[in-house]
Amino acid sequence: MTIVIGFEGSANKIGVGIVRDGAVLSNPRRTYITPPGQGRFSVETAKHHRACVLSVLKEALLQAGIQPADIDCVAFTKGPGMGGSVVAVAIVARTVAQLWKKPLLGVNHCIGHIEMGRLITGAANPTVLDCVETQRGVISYSERRYRIFGEAIDIAVGNCLDRFARVIKISNDPSPGYNIEQMAKKGSQFVELPYTVKGMDVSFSGILSYTEEMAHKMLGAGECTPEDLCFSLQETLFSMLVEVTERAMAHCGSREVLIVGGVGCNLLQEMMEVMCQERGAKLFATDERFCIDNGAMIAQAGWEMFRSGHVTSLEDSWVTQRFRTDEVEVTWRD
Amino acid sequence: MAAPHSETLHFKTVGSVFLFSNRLAQIAHGSLSPDAEPRKGGISKELRVTDNNLNVFWCAEEARILRVSVGSFLDHLALVLETMQAFGPSETQ
Repeated sequence: MTIVIGFEGSANKIGVGIVRDGAVLSNPRRTYITPPGQGRFSVETAKHHRACVLSVLKEALLQAGIQPADIDCVAFTKGPGMGGSVVAVAIVARTVAQLWKKPLLGVNHCIGHIEMGRLITGAANPTVLDCVETQRGVISYSERRYRIFGEAIDIAVGNCLDRFARVIKISNDPSPGYNIEQMAKKGSQFVELPYTVKGMDVSFSGILSYTEEMAHKMLGAGECTPEDLCFSLQETLFSMLVEVTERAMAHCGSREVLIVGGVGCNLLQEMMEVMCQERGAKLFATDERFCIDNGAMIAQAGWEMFRSGHVTSLEDSWVTQRFRTDEVEVTWRD
Repeated sequence: MAAPHSETLHFKTVGSVFLFSNRLAQIAHGSLSPDAEPRKGGISKELRVTDNNLNVFWCAEEARILRVSVGSFLDHLALVLETMQAFGPSETQ
């Protein structure tokens, strides 16, 4: 029996989760929500995480019904993520690991999403569309690495959605992407927006600058409604992601797709399902408990890594804002 | 007379935190030393443990840079101490 506790705080969610041999024992989380029109200020987000990490930790232990002595390993997000936030959570992880005399394990945030996706859905060897807010790409496992087949070359799809939401002052509660999706359902007119796929890669900065420039003009002139813009943005962004995912599947001969990450809810899943049906492939996706950043995904990746022999010394437990998914040697898969 | 070049100025400060035991001082050191300063250049920080004390030595090119680093360190130190109080041995509670 192996019990791992995982700490996640790389973006605006702070979560602590506990897993035991494939079962999620607890997974509490708090989200820092900014007013409409504002992004996530790094300093404020870090302050939020510092203020609530210990109570989330206590909640995780209580809900799981375990004591620190029962824990085998303390996992935490080493990166990528927002500097101050990642550091704050890592500091708590390091402190409890030393207090409880347990090994420490730094986990790549995206691998956390992938391993939780694999656990929850049971997908064997899927092409993974990683829609984590700070990373983004199409990933496939090959020879001990999660290889990046294609990626967003400028900003992540989540960043693009968040910044678009700020342009037209959509609420950040519960999340900009969710609110864009609700508004998109009421959109009726498709507005042509830049569609930029470059081979296996996608580019979102063009569509974002276009909407930043044109949104107010078009809305002011009554050419379209904010709902139409939301609808058009989603259709364009998600079509780009479906295209590169399909290309990766064709390249790898894959018949499974797994969507992970906070953007990977609802409409993107629907669009991906259409493509999968056309190809005779299966789509796997998780619900918002696990597709949005959470502590249990870090614990799950930590569980896999720990059982295959990974640990992180204190000296090597420094955090980083840039940590590519393909930098980690995946020793826990064949 | 020309003003002294900013690169020749060194703002230094030293901090010392008393913990209840050498073990706790080592734990604080372990939690606070791994991360590099976010700013590349213009600031250096070193942590050392002596008995029950965690000693911190800063050296910065500008007072503003020093202030940011010290402020950030104190926030993180507070978090370590709170964690020790919540989950540490009984003498910290």
